[in-house]
Amino acid sequence: MGEFPDFISDLPQSIIENILTRLSIREAIRTSVLSSRWRYKWSTLTDLVFDEKCVSPSTDRCVVETNLVRFVTGVLLLHQGPIHKFQLSTSFLQCRPDIDQWLLFLSRNGIKELVLELGEGEFRAPSCLFNCLKLTRLELCHCEFDPPRCFKGFSSLKSLNLHQILVAPEVIESLISGCPLLEFLSLSYFDSLVLSISAPNLMYLYLDGEFKDIFLENTPKLVAISVSMYMHEDVTDFEQSSDYNLVKFLGGVPLLEKLVGYIYFTKYLSIGDDPGRLPITYIHLKTIELYQVSFEDANEVLVLLRLVTHSPNLKELKVSASPIQLFPLEEEGFDLFERDYFDYQLPRLETVKMTDVSGIRNELEFIRFLLGTSPVLETVIVSSSLTDKDAKMDMVVELLRYPRVSPQAQFLFLQD
Amino acid sequence: MSEGNLAVMKPETMKSYIWLQTADGSIQQVEQEVAMFCPMICQEVIQKGVGSSKNHAISLPQRVKPAMFSLVLDYCRFHQMPGRSNKERKTYDERFIRMDTKRLCELTSAADSLQLKPLVDLTSRALARIIEGKTPEEIREIFHLPDDFTEEEKLEPLKNTMDDPRIRRLNRLSKKRKELKERQRLKNVEVEEHVDERSVDDLLSFINGRDPKAVKKKKKKKKKDQKIVSSYDIHEKGSHHLHSKQQCVEEAGSSMRQVPNLPSAEDDIYTPKSGSEDEDVDDEIDPAMREMLDREVEDFAQRLNANWVRSLGQERRPVHFSINGNGTTRRHTGFRHTLDD
Repeated sequence: MGEFPDFISDLPQSIIENILTRLSIREAIRTSVLSSRWRYKWSTLTDLVFDEKCVSPSTDRCVVETNLVRFVTGVLLLHQGPIHKFQLSTSFLQCRPDIDQWLLFLSRNGIKELVLELGEGEFRAPSCLFNCLKLTRLELCHCEFDPPRCFKGFSSLKSLNLHQILVAPEVIESLISGCPLLEFLSLSYFDSLVLSISAPNLMYLYLDGEFKDIFLENTPKLVAISVSMYMHEDVTDFEQSSDYNLVKFLGGVPLLEKLVGYIYFTKYLSIGDDPGRLPITYIHLKTIELYQVSFEDANEVLVLLRLVTHSPNLKELKVSASPIQLFPLEEEGFDLFERDYFDYQLPRLETVKMTDVSGIRNELEFIRFLLGTSPVLETVIVSSSLTDKDAKMDMVVELLRYPRVSPQAQFLFLQD
Repeated sequence: MSEGNLAVMKPETMKSYIWLQTADGSIQQVEQEVAMFCPMICQEVIQKGVGSSKNHAISLPQRVKPAMFSLVLDYCRFHQMPGRSNKERKTYDERFIRMDTKRLCELTSAADSLQLKPLVDLTSRALARIIEGKTPEEIREIFHLPDDFTEEEKLEPLKNTMDDPRIRRLNRLSKKRKELKERQRLKNVEVEEHVDERSVDDLLSFINGRDPKAVKKKKKKKKKDQKIVSSYDIHEKGSHHLHSKQQCVEEAGSSMRQVPNLPSAEDDIYTPKSGSEDEDVDDEIDPAMREMLDREVEDFAQRLNANWVRSLGQERRPVHFSINGNGTTRRHTGFRHTLDD
C-alpha cells in the first residue's frame, strides 16, 4: 500500500487524541501496533479509564487481578506527559500496594479527576492523595479516608463523591469547608452521621444513609437536593431538637429548583416545633418529589403542605405514601385543609403523581386541595396500593367528584 | 427626503456576504450567518476586518480543501438556524457523516482548521467508531497505514513476558531467594527479642543450631499462597516503598531489567547469623542448597542477558524505549531511575 499516502496519521495530535479518547483504553493502546508513527500517539492521552474489561476475562479471580495490575502499571510507565483523569472501577482490586504506587505517580503528574471504585475491603487512601492539590473531582468508594492533621482541603475541588467510606465525621465537615469551590457533593452509605454543611458554592447535594442530623449551615447556592434518609432503631434521638428541622434544613436555600426525598426524609423534616410560617419562599422550586410520606402523621402532611404552598412556581409534584409505619398512628383528623390552605394558589402546577395511595382521609384531602388550587393542572396520576376492588372503586369515585379549578385536569389511574 | 420617513429596512434579497478564498485560489462568497458559524472566520472578520469585499477575501488555511469546505458550509447552513430541535440536528448529523473514510479524515482536518469544534467532535466520533473493534490489519487497510515494523516482530505493546518459561523460572528462583532473605531477617529480629528470657540450656541449644522458640515463631510467617505479592503484604506500609516498587516493576513484565541487579542484591543474603548452618525445620532451603540456588540464579541471569542481547535484533520491547525531548529514541538503562525518587 505504498502508493496511497495514509490519510489519518497526518491529522494534528489534538484530533488523534480526540479520537483515541472515545475508544476504550485497551483499544487506544492497541493503535500503537498500527505503524511506526502510531507507536506513541496514545501515550499522551490525558484521560485514563480502567476497569476489568481492560484484560482478558478469566474464571480465576487472581488471574484477572494480577493481569489488571500489570496492565495499569504498564500503561502508567509508558505514559508520557500529564494525566488529568484517572478512573479505576473494578471490584477485582481492593487492597494492593500497587494502588498506592499508582496514586503516588498520579500525584506527581497533575491529576485533576480521580475516581477509585474498588471492591469491598480495607483500602486506605495513602497520604499522597492529600498532596493532589489540583484535584477538581474526587470519587472514592470502599476506602478508608484519614487525612494528615496538616491537610487543609482541596482548594480546587468542585465535585466530591464518597461512597461507603470509613471516615470520622469531623473530617468530612472540615473537608467540605476546606473545599471552597465545591459545587457537587454526594455522600452515600454513611452511618449515624451528624453533619453541618458549609459550602458557599454548593449547587447539588446528594445524601444517602443513616444521618442523624443534617444542618445546611451555609449553602445559599443549592439548586438541587436529593436525600435518602434511613433511620436508626432508636427513634428517640430524632426527637431531641426543638428547632424545626424543615427550617434547619431548607431554611437557607432560596435558589432551590429541585427537591427529592426518600424513606424518612419527610419524617425528619417534620420534627421540631413548627413556627407557623417558613422564612423563605422557593421561587425557583419547580419539582418536588417526596416519597414514603406517612399521611397518617399530621406533621408530615404539614411539611408537604408548607413546601407546596411556599413554591409559587412549582410545576411537578410527585408524592408516594408510605407503607412503612414506625409506630401505628391514629389518623389525626386533618382539618387544616378547611382553614387557610384553600387561599393559596399553585399557579404553575401541571403534573401531579400520587403513588401507593391507600385511600385514607388525608391523602384524599390533599388531592382535593391540589385540584382546588391549580388553575393550569393537566394530569393527575394516581396509583393505589389497595387490593380490594371495592375500596379502590370507592376511592376513585370520591376523587372524581372533587371540584377542579383547571378545566383540562385529567385523572390517570394506574395499576400498581 | 426627510430622514424621519426613511425606513431603513433590508429587503429580503439583500443579505450580507463574506468573501473567502480557498487554498486553490478560487474566491467565493458565502452568506454571513453561515460563514460566521465558523469561529476562525468569525475571528478574521472581527479582529482583522477582512472578508467584506472580493479584494479583501479571507484566505482559508491550507488544510481546508475546496470540496471539504462546501461540506462544512452545508453543516453550518443547517446548524446555524436556531429553530431546529435536538432530534433534527442529531438525525442530520448521522446522515451527514456517512462518507468514505478518506473524506471523513479530510473533513476532520478542515473542521479543525476552521475551529469548528462541534463538527470536529462529530467526525472524531465517527472515526472512533470505525476503529473500534477492528484488528490492526483491518485498521491499516481502511486508513492505508504502512505496515512498517520491518526489522521488529510485531507485538502487542503490553505483552505478558511471564509467558516465557525461562523468565518464570527465574522469578521462582528469585522469589525463593527473597523468601529466604525475609526469614533470615525475621530470625535476626526474633533472636534479639528472646535474648533476655532464655535459660542457659536454650542458649546452648540455640548456638548448637536448634532453637525451638524461633521455629515456633516463624511458623506463622509461612505463606499460604505462592503469589509474589503477598510476601510484601506484611510490610507494605511505610518503610518499604523500594521493595514494593521493585516488585511492582517486575509485575509490569519488565523483569528482564531486574536481571543485572540480581548479583548486587546477593550481598544481603550472606549476612552472617549465629547458628544458622544447620537444618532448621522451617527453612525450605539449607545453606548448601542456598548457595547452589544463588549460583543457578546468576547463571540464569547471565544466560538470559546473553539471549536478550542476541535477540535484540528480532524483538524490541516498547517498555524499554522512550522518546526524549528531541525525538530520538533511547534505551532506559534499567529501572534504577524509577527507584531513585
